[in-house]
This record gives sequence, structure tokens and C-alpha cells, in this order.
Amino acid sequence: MLNKIGFNNKWSVISLIIIIFIILPSVFIFLGLFEQASDNWVHIKTYLLKDYVFNSFILTFFTGLFSIIIGVSLAWIVNAYDFKFSNFFKWALILPMAIPPYIGSYTYVGLLNYTGVIQTFFRNNLSIIIDPSLLNIMNLPGAIFIYTIFLYPYVYLITNAFFKKQSASIIEVSKTLGKGSFEIFLKVMLPLSRGAYVGGATLVVLEVLNDYGVVKYFGISTFSTSIFQTWFALGDTNSAIKLSASLMILVFIILVIERISRGDKKYNHSSRSVKPLKPYKLKGKKSWAMFFFPAAIFLIGFLVPVAQLIHWSIISYGNITKLNIISILFNSIGVSFIGSILVIIAAVIIANTVRVNKDILTKNYARIAIMGYSIPGAVIAIGVMMFFLKLDSSINMVTNYDIGLILSTSIFMLIFAYFIRFLAIGFNSVESGFQKVGSNYFEASRTLGKSITETFFKVDLPMLKPSLISGFLLVSIEILKELPLTLILRPFNFNTLATRAFEYANDEMIHESAVLSLILIIVSVILIYTLTSYKKKGKR
Amino acid sequence: MNKLYKANLIFIFLLIIIFTTVAGAEGEVNLYTNRHYDTDELLLQEFEEDTGIMVNVLKGGSDELIEKIAREGKDTSADLLITADAGRLHRAKTMGLLQPVKSKVLFNNIPKNLRDEENYWFGLTIRGRVVVYAKNRVNEADLSSYEDLIDEKWNGKILVRSSSNIYNQSLLASFIELYGRDWAVNWAEGIVKNMARKPQGNDRDQATAVVAGQGDIAIMNTYYLGKMLNSTNQEEVKVAKQLEIFFPKKTHINVSGIGLTRHAKNKENAVRLIEYLTSKKAQEMFAKANFEYPVNNEVKPSELLKSWGEFKTQDINLSSLGENNKEAYMIFNQVGWK
Repeated sequence: MLNKIGFNNKWSVISLIIIIFIILPSVFIFLGLFEQASDNWVHIKTYLLKDYVFNSFILTFFTGLFSIIIGVSLAWIVNAYDFKFSNFFKWALILPMAIPPYIGSYTYVGLLNYTGVIQTFFRNNLSIIIDPSLLNIMNLPGAIFIYTIFLYPYVYLITNAFFKKQSASIIEVSKTLGKGSFEIFLKVMLPLSRGAYVGGATLVVLEVLNDYGVVKYFGISTFSTSIFQTWFALGDTNSAIKLSASLMILVFIILVIERISRGDKKYNHSSRSVKPLKPYKLKGKKSWAMFFFPAAIFLIGFLVPVAQLIHWSIISYGNITKLNIISILFNSIGVSFIGSILVIIAAVIIANTVRVNKDILTKNYARIAIMGYSIPGAVIAIGVMMFFLKLDSSINMVTNYDIGLILSTSIFMLIFAYFIRFLAIGFNSVESGFQKVGSNYFEASRTLGKSITETFFKVDLPMLKPSLISGFLLVSIEILKELPLTLILRPFNFNTLATRAFEYANDEMIHESAVLSLILIIVSVILIYTLTSYKKKGKR
Repeated sequence: MNKLYKANLIFIFLLIIIFTTVAGAEGEVNLYTNRHYDTDELLLQEFEEDTGIMVNVLKGGSDELIEKIAREGKDTSADLLITADAGRLHRAKTMGLLQPVKSKVLFNNIPKNLRDEENYWFGLTIRGRVVVYAKNRVNEADLSSYEDLIDEKWNGKILVRSSSNIYNQSLLASFIELYGRDWAVNWAEGIVKNMARKPQGNDRDQATAVVAGQGDIAIMNTYYLGKMLNSTNQEEVKVAKQLEIFFPKKTHINVSGIGLTRHAKNKENAVRLIEYLTSKKAQEMFAKANFEYPVNNEVKPSELLKSWGEFKTQDINLSSLGENNKEAYMIFNQVGWK
């Protein structure tokens, strides 16, 4: 019955409009693909492409792998055991996500280099001179370290949620079969949670492919630096598009691998009568031993960099003149708020349409909705800019009155770009919410003669609320940290915490950037705290 | 929570209104700039107070800003473009994004070699790309020219950042202009052979690595040493004090510069702002703040810069940095300068 609803309801029409808006900017980009290759492309292929592929591959592979190892094992430990501060770690282990990797990289280099705290301490107090190359992290392994330590929370978050949902009965059965807890983790929980951690690792990998700040500072050439270089430095749009296309093929392969390795969806245990996992209480020495690993990760991923930033903030505060911190803060919060609201509204509309309509066209909406996350920020930026300029010139033509650039000089352009870029994150939350709710209530309501819209507001929405809120908060954090889009698309006199911190750091004034980095991190931490405490409340 | 949301919403609408109306007001000038220094903002504020002309600023990378002006075409809201590299200004000129300015004040304030031949752009501050060496390990007498750096005696001793950096590209571009392509290829190859480590980090990181003993000399911009000497981190000050600047024969210089966009809507105000920034009053602060040399001859460099000594510069028009940029970029890739 459902698939006969077809195309004639409001939801489908609005979804289609949203989807068209998402696709249009990319169309502007890919029109360029059909132009002839320039001689730069030959140069790039001969001298550079091999490096890009190699570096990007090494970075994504190892960051993905280590993120899974750290994220999954942490998620298991905090769910399966009750040890010192385990409740604190449950949410504290998400916190490294609050630190954008580029800020993390500047901080760690500043901490570890010759003038940093560690070497200075040994040199001045103990007269021990450390070989600086030992502490040098400006290389591939260093970049992998930075990405892993600040991005593993994506894996942790999703896997953690998965373990929480797992019914204790699986574990009990395993235990009756005489399995030790480590064995249960390895042979039962690890395969079961594959879908969750592969999903998280995919987000991590896409973040790494998209990152520009860390690799630029470390002098590592990857796809994202090369796209910037050829587009802007060589002024060669054509080759940049070819590089973007190569990158998107790579992303496509990764997404296919994700599909395959998520394996059978039947593993997902979403029955309503889940008995939550009861953590095993550890005592005495064992409790402290278990404390060590999460504590170390929390230390490296959050406490140490934050402590360093606090130190720098204190010594450099006087140098920062005329900073308007308040207005910068409000800008950041404002765009995050608006951007996230739009993302969630659109995600709900699309996800609901996908659920209601089962035709082939609609099925692909889900794919398209998450497309933006796989396109490099700089490419989205240019696509959106071209799209808005076209809109402006159409407005001028239609109104027959030369009012100049209205939309493309406004904040709308930036918010629209955020929308495309982060719809994937909002959509995933909302979609999983719909999956949890299932379609029984929906069908019952429809049988009782309620319209799709009525059903949505009266039946689905209240049940969806937790997913919507967590989606909203996740997107807010992302927008708060966002850099390349904001740098290119913002209007006059508009600064965010991220852009201001980056400007200082980019001018090699890392101490001066600390104050802004710190505020950014504090806001993110507040959002993360809201996210976790809300989830807890939602469970009750 | 609800109250907070409402307050936020109202705030956002206000923002939107502000941003959409600002573009139409009068008595203003719109500036796209690649410089982010706080002192620049103070200068602009002073200009606003002196003239009543409001300055709207959009900061960004120079390449991104140029791309933006190009895409916006005749409707661009930018009146002025500031970049920290003459080559970039030249690119903007060749892309047809700038227009010449005829102003006696400017001709008077800025020497000929520090502005475009046809006056499409004007230098604002000067920096040199020089050799910085460890006082205790390197004898000044061993240093002479950029060419000398490819000598075997520097094998494994040179520190320099990645070739994706515009300052390195402009340095090599100047060699192409002065000595031709083959010379430049040979030089870049020689430097790669003599590198102490793979290029990484920024200019300040190179200086630190010299003191840490990872190499003996670094190629870097003058003002970074000034910044390190005035750093809030005492360790960095200590590091900087162990270093000395050497100006190679025919020192390579570059400028932060400014150009009037072709479709500028506030041309008069824009020219006034350029004149102001090159005036004696502004130049003192402008150059000093970032430890750069002023373009205006009437203004003396700061005491610190004077203490580094005087030097002779390359005798080229700075536009050539832009003309040879692509060539330089390609040479770097060919010789494997990462």
C-alpha cells in the first residue's frame, strides 16, 4: 500500500526541492569536468599525483584503523566494567572531539618543539638535551597521531551507543558458555558492533580526507592541499576539478567498502525490551588498572592540549587588542544554531519521505543527502559561490533593476554551504531515529485515517525527539569548528571563533590564537555535555 | 532553553539585516585583505575616525580572495585588495581585476620599484627573505650569496619550509627573472640536496630548528625573527637571541601591497585609504607592528631593523614574481622540493 502513495504528497515535493538545491552547486562544479585537460594536469600527473595518493591513503588507513582500536576498546571498557571514574569517562572520552585537529596540531608542535614546555624543562632544569627529532611530529606518523587522538570520538560515540543498546542476554549466554570477558569482547561484541564502528570510522576517514589545516602545516601534500594549490595557486580550475573528481571516486570506494563491511543489518538489535548491560564491578588494584587506559587517552586528547592553551592564553592575553570576543562568540553560536536547525528540518523531511515512498527516485535521496560530506570543503565553497552569483544575476534580470549582489554578499550563502556540507551528519541521526521508531505506529495511524503530516506531528515527532536533538547538537559542533567554507564564503566584517583562531595561527602567532581556541573548545564542551546528559534523560 | 533559542533567533535576524544593508550604505570602503594583524585594525579604525569613511573588512587567503573577486565580476563588493605578496597582486592585475590609480601622493610616497609599472598596485611594507644562522656555529664570512647555499659545505645544514609556501615560490621566481630558468633549476636542486630535513612547519619552526641543532642555517622572512625576539614565550626569545640575520648579496625582497579593483564602487574613498596607509603617519605604525620595513622613504625603519644593518636588494620589478610564479612552482615539483 505504501509504495502507491508515490509522488503526490507535500513531503515528496518539498524533498525534491531540497534535493535539487543540494545538487545544483555540484552541477556547477562538474560542468567543468568536460573541459579539456590543461598542461598543468600532465605536470600534476607526472610529479605529484603519486604523492597525493600515497599520503592520503596512509593517513586515512592508519587513522581509521587506530580510531577503531581506540574508540571500540574504550566504548567496551566503559560499558562492560565499573571502575574508578568510569561514569566520568563515559562522557569525558567524547571531549577530544571539541578540539579541531588543526588547533590540536599547532598546540602539540608548540608543546613538543625546542621552545616547548617539555624540552625546555629538561634543558633548563636537568641539563638534559633531548634530540629534537625524537619529539618531532611534523610528519606522516605525527599527522596520524593528531587525527586519531582528536577524531576517534566519532567511533567511540557510535560504538558506545551500540553497546548500551545491546541486551545483556547476549553476554549472559556467552558467560554461561564459559567465555571470559575478553573473549566475549573479541568473539562476540566486536563482530556484532562492526556496523557501528565501521560507520564511525567512515566519518573519521572523510574528516581526514577533507582536512586542510594539519597537513598544510606539516608540509604533507594530500588531495585536499593539492586541490587548494591547483585551484588557487595555479589558477587552474580544470585540474582542480579533476583532482576533486579523483578524490570523490576514492570516497565512493570507501563508502562501498563501508556498505560491504557493515555486513548484515540483522545484527542490529533494536527490540524494545532491551535489558541494559550491567557493568562488571572491579575492585582495588584491578579498578585502577582499568582506569589507566581511558585516563591516558583523555589526558593526551584533551587535558594536555587544553592546559597548554590555557597557559598560552594567560601569557598572551594582553597582546590581543580590540578583539570583540563577544561578537565573535555570538557569530559562531548564531551560525551554528541556524545552520543546525535547517539541517535537522531538511533531514526530517527527506528521511520521512524516504520512509513513506519506496520508489527508486526517493530511495536515492538518502545517498544524495549525504553527498556533501564527501566533497572537499573548498569545492563546495566554490560551487555554492557560483550558484549564488547565478541566483543574484537572475534576480537582477527578473526584477529588471540593478541591485547588485544581494544573496552572495549575505550570510545566507555561508549557511547554505554549511547546510550542504553537514546534512549527512544530521540525516544519519534522524534516519537512525526513524529506524528505531519503526513503521508500526505510522501504519496504525494511517489506517485510522490520519494524513502523513498529521501522523508525523502527532505520532512520529514525539518519538523522534531524542534523535533530532542529538543530530542538532552534533551538527552544531561541526559548524562551530568549520574552517574552509567559513573562510571563503563569509560576508564582510564577519569572524567566527574558528576563523579568528586560524588567522592568528596562520600568521605564526600561536600564543595569540589560544584565547579563541579555548573559547571554541569551551562552547563545544558545553554542547557535548548537553548531548550526553540529554541522552541519559531520554533513556529513562 | 526556549528563551535562549528565541534570543538567538532574534539575534540572527538582526545579523542578517545588518549584513544585507551594510553593502548599500554610503561613505564606506570595502577591503579584501590577506593581512590579519590587530594593528591593521587599529589603523583602519583611525582612518574611520579621521575621515568618517567606514571600512568594511573581509579577511581570507590571498588566492581565495582573488578567486572571489573574479567570480563576483562587475558586481564585486570589493574596492581594495591587500595581499602579502607582490606576485599575487600581479596575478590579480593580469586577471583584469585591478585598475590603475593616478595619484601624486602615492607616486610621492612609494618608490618606483615598489609599485606596479602601470600603477595597478602599490607596496605597503617590505620584508626580506634572508639567511638566518646560528651565531655559535656559523662564521659570517662563510656566507655570501643565495648561490653559495648550494655549495657542498652546507650539505645537510639548510632548513627551509615547503615549496607550497608563496614566499619560497616568489624567491625562486625572482631567480628565474634574474638568472634564467636553468640557473633556478640548478639552485633548487642544490638546496634540496643540502636540506637538513624534509621541509615542514612554518618559518619560525625553521629558526627554532637551527638553535635545536637540526641544521645550521634557515631561509626565512626577516619579520619572523622580530616576532620571536618579542615573543611572549621567554624560551623563544632565548632562541632568537642565538640567531643572526645575514642579508645575501642582492637580497630578495617582497611587499605587502594594495590594489584598487576594476569594478570598485567607492573609488574615491578607496584611493584615500591607500594614500592614508602609505602616509608618513600610518607607515610608522604599519611597518613597525609586524617588524617590516616601510615603503615610504621618509619613514625610518624601527631600531631593531636598523640594528640588523643595511642591505642591497635585487634589482627587479616585483611584478616578475607573479609572472614567474607558475614556472617556479613547477620547478619545485620537478626537483622534489616537497
